Amino acid sequence: MKRSEALIEIDNIHKSFGNFEVLKGISLSVNEGEAVCIIGPSGSGKSTVLRCINGLLPIDEGYIRVGKHRVHELRSEKEMRPLRHQVSMVFQQYNLFPHKTALENIMMAPIQVLGHERAEVEDRARKLLEKVRLGNKADSYPGMLSGGQQQRVAIARALAMQPEIILFDEVTAALDPETVKEVLLTIRELVDDGLTCILVTHEMKFAREVADRVCFTDRGLIVENAPPAELFDTPQDPRTREFLGQVL
Amino acid sequence: MFGLDYSWLADPAYQSWLVTGVINTLELAALSSSVAILIGMLGALGLSLRVFWLDALIELFVEVFRNTPPLLQMLFAYFTLSTLGLETTDPVTGLKMPLLSAFACACISLSLFGGALAIEAFRSGLETMPKAITEAGRSLGYSRWARFWRIEVPIASRVCLPSLTNILTNLFKTTSQASVITVPELMYYAGQIYNDTFRTLEVMILILIIYVVLVSILSYGMSRLEAYLTLPGYGKEQ
Ligand SMILES: Nc1ncnc2c1ncn2[C@@H]1O[C@H](COP(=O)(O)OP(=O)(O)O)[C@@H](O)[C@H]1O
Ligand SMILES: [Mg+2]
Repeated sequence: MKRSEALIEIDNIHKSFGNFEVLKGISLSVNEGEAVCIIGPSGSGKSTVLRCINGLLPIDEGYIRVGKHRVHELRSEKEMRPLRHQVSMVFQQYNLFPHKTALENIMMAPIQVLGHERAEVEDRARKLLEKVRLGNKADSYPGMLSGGQQQRVAIARALAMQPEIILFDEVTAALDPETVKEVLLTIRELVDDGLTCILVTHEMKFAREVADRVCFTDRGLIVENAPPAELFDTPQDPRTREFLGQVL
Repeated sequence: MFGLDYSWLADPAYQSWLVTGVINTLELAALSSSVAILIGMLGALGLSLRVFWLDALIELFVEVFRNTPPLLQMLFAYFTLSTLGLETTDPVTGLKMPLLSAFACACISLSLFGGALAIEAFRSGLETMPKAITEAGRSLGYSRWARFWRIEVPIASRVCLPSLTNILTNLFKTTSQASVITVPELMYYAGQIYNDTFRTLEVMILILIIYVVLVSILSYGMSRLEAYLTLPGYGKEQ
């Protein structure tokens, strides 16, 4: 069943939108407790990879295993549910539910999807709000919070599912420079706690500091995959060098 | 005053007709509004599934009920449903009677008319749903059905509440057409009273005032609901 001991195993996945091939054979494996950053130019398929990992997008070809789930074989939303429990996702635009308070946003899915008991979930949710330093914003609606605060609520919402893996998709890209720091701090704590994370990011300094490995993607391929010191200091591929030259 | 004679209003028989009429009008409006809203939600859900034949079916339903006079729809419902021969036996008298009363026929026809309008409203509400919200729901493991009821309906109904208010007031006024198929609602009793008293103008003025009051209460209630459901800060950014 498993091809390796890795927690996440992606082998040669292809994905097209119409005639446009976005992923042209991506392979990647992530071990438990590892933090892997994905960097690369916009449009190179980073978000698409994350969406394929938790089954939000079906792939055309290839193999994806997350824990015991063979994602490419799951067909219905119902079959996906255990996977969604194991893998949470945090988005660039926070994607909070505007009609629910911060606390309710965090509590909804554990109660409604996982069927956990309300009192226990509320307790968990309040602790998570404390953890992301928003204990005093429990009753605020997303529209009343700043971008950075919304993003931290979104992280708490993802954590409330008690996932083994969190996927972060450019979660600081829409934030003001001042609030980026507080969100990165929260993520860094999660990585330090040993949560398995895949982070798509434009924050090179952050990637260098927290990642165990960094992948550079370009036009639907992982061009280079190495520990951060190696990838940033001695990039092997000319495309990596060119990209780093532009962003650093 | 102005030569208007309201002395008939002192007659307890007419008073009770008016009260019964108002109650029946309210019942008819409440029932058909509720069913219309449900039809609107389910129709919009159906359209969002993007199944070819279902789309076609719902579109046809909307076109037919939106583009024909509601009075015709009501007469049509009354004469077709009552000639279907669905009968039941009255447990008290033992007599055969039609299963669907005039009231039921009116209710069905008004629900379908309002439902067709509500589908349009909910559809446009759902169309403004950011894709990001749907995706967040999916990533948290919500099924299509749960996402619809717990996330999309609460957000979309806030967006389409103003058009829903229009539809419901429109539907409320349209209940008066049920008098044509002998449903004893307010308009029906109005006719009964002026046939009796020949005080047509006086009765009409009174009925007019009653409708104005009832519809005003409805739209006031809806505007309070709108204020209550407003999402702080939502829709201002991006
Ligand atoms: N749902 C979609 N339909 C069509 N094209 C898409 C869709 N999602 C992404 N794309 C295209 O696929 C390419 C890669 O997108 P994405 O994975 O979001 O890139 P990145 O996250 O690296 O910026 C882009 O050119 C984008 O326009
Ligand atoms: Mg992206």
